[in-house]
Amino acid sequence: MTLSTIREILVQSAEQFGQGDAVRYKAGKDQIETKSYVQLKQDSESFSLALMDLGEQGAHVAVTGMTSYPWLVTYLGTVNCGCVAVPLDVSLPAEEMCELISRADVTTVVLDEIRMDVAAILRQRCPEVKHLIMMKKEESDTEALSFTQLLAEHQGSCTYQPDPDSLCTIMFTSGTTGKSKGVMLTHRNMAENATCLDMKIPARTVILSVLPIHHAYCLSMDILKGLSLGSIICINDSLIRMAKNIQLFKPEMILMVPLMIETLAKKLEDAAALPPQLVKQQVFGEQFHTICSGGAYLTGRKKNLIITKNGENVSPEELENKLGEDRLVQEILVRENEGVIEAEIFPDLEYAAKKGIEDLQAALQERINAYNRTAPAHKRVYRLKVRNTEFEKTPSKKIKRY
Amino acid sequence: MFDKLVEVICNYVEVEPENVRPESRFMEDLGFTSFDFMSMLGELEETFDVEVDQQEVVNIRTVQEAVDYLETLVK
Repeated sequence: MTLSTIREILVQSAEQFGQGDAVRYKAGKDQIETKSYVQLKQDSESFSLALMDLGEQGAHVAVTGMTSYPWLVTYLGTVNCGCVAVPLDVSLPAEEMCELISRADVTTVVLDEIRMDVAAILRQRCPEVKHLIMMKKEESDTEALSFTQLLAEHQGSCTYQPDPDSLCTIMFTSGTTGKSKGVMLTHRNMAENATCLDMKIPARTVILSVLPIHHAYCLSMDILKGLSLGSIICINDSLIRMAKNIQLFKPEMILMVPLMIETLAKKLEDAAALPPQLVKQQVFGEQFHTICSGGAYLTGRKKNLIITKNGENVSPEELENKLGEDRLVQEILVRENEGVIEAEIFPDLEYAAKKGIEDLQAALQERINAYNRTAPAHKRVYRLKVRNTEFEKTPSKKIKRY
Repeated sequence: MFDKLVEVICNYVEVEPENVRPESRFMEDLGFTSFDFMSMLGELEETFDVEVDQQEVVNIRTVQEAVDYLETLVK
């Protein structure tokens, strides 16, 4: 069922799944803490009441930190009382984070303690910020408010109903094409995006959330879609412990970005000595492309489209995926240059060493030739550049195209 | 500590133990990807029964720096 506000998603799931687990996270080594749907709704309403009490209803509230229960409560409590949430990338340098806080007209900031460096310069860099709330702080003082204390002091329910077409969230782009841009999303944008597609995922599916929480894909699919389906959302505290957390939480579903899947596929392939295509089929099944793109089959982005001189449209991603299947190719970028299609490749040096491949240019050219023989003329690669360093990446681990 | 670390490193990259030196850099010299590095830290946590700090490990570039960091945790 398509819902039009995030509040509707939360209210519906709290009614339907009540005391069932909504969130699971590590509370210590191998110890799992859980929060039910009812608890999540109550805590987020307490946070809403706290914001209203601070005179911040309708204000812009920035939140940054690792994925955590307080992060989720902050986000839901913010948007459900008519405030606008501004999720920020926890790995941004402090100066840059302050710049985004100013640009987004933020007056309340909710911070994870791992970014004390931001707290230290916030007052000076962003004088317009009125309130700083720290997620793990035990007691409020003159420096900052305690998230836990705010919740405890504001028990009760918040029945505010946001207008579906009012502003809900400002998300900053990762800057693939330059300076980050704040994208303004309404409740309807967020809620309908999460609920419009029936992905045939049963209720109570155990999801492990491994992507950064400020990431649009993670927030809309892991979190909002997950909540709307009554999923059990398990929080991966660190990529370092992903393997261990998979054993601990036993997820039935993990959403990843292609780079992570490719790396895992290569690892599994090493273990089983299987060709990559087979690993993708066996490990990720027919859903491989669906998993990568989040639901629909996507071949490429419109802005990257190459239009050749004879008017044929070529999606570089399609060629990148095809050529990227080769074990020797670690990273690849396909683009148009001086009227011809060119591929720039960073080879898998470890693999080349293992196989005793010395002339990488020749070995890669051989692979391009083999591909060209099977490709229609307008999709052939006419020029090859070999790199000896990785491509520069955006914070979401995508290769910077421009 | 160094020898134990070398043993773990060799499970992640194709390199002979005698070629791993204290000054070897994980990415540039030993051929680690960032994901290999993260996974290896996970294994080291198990091996030494410690918890690494994600904020601090991003600064580790060489084998010696990893040894120094691990030694502060094991004590």
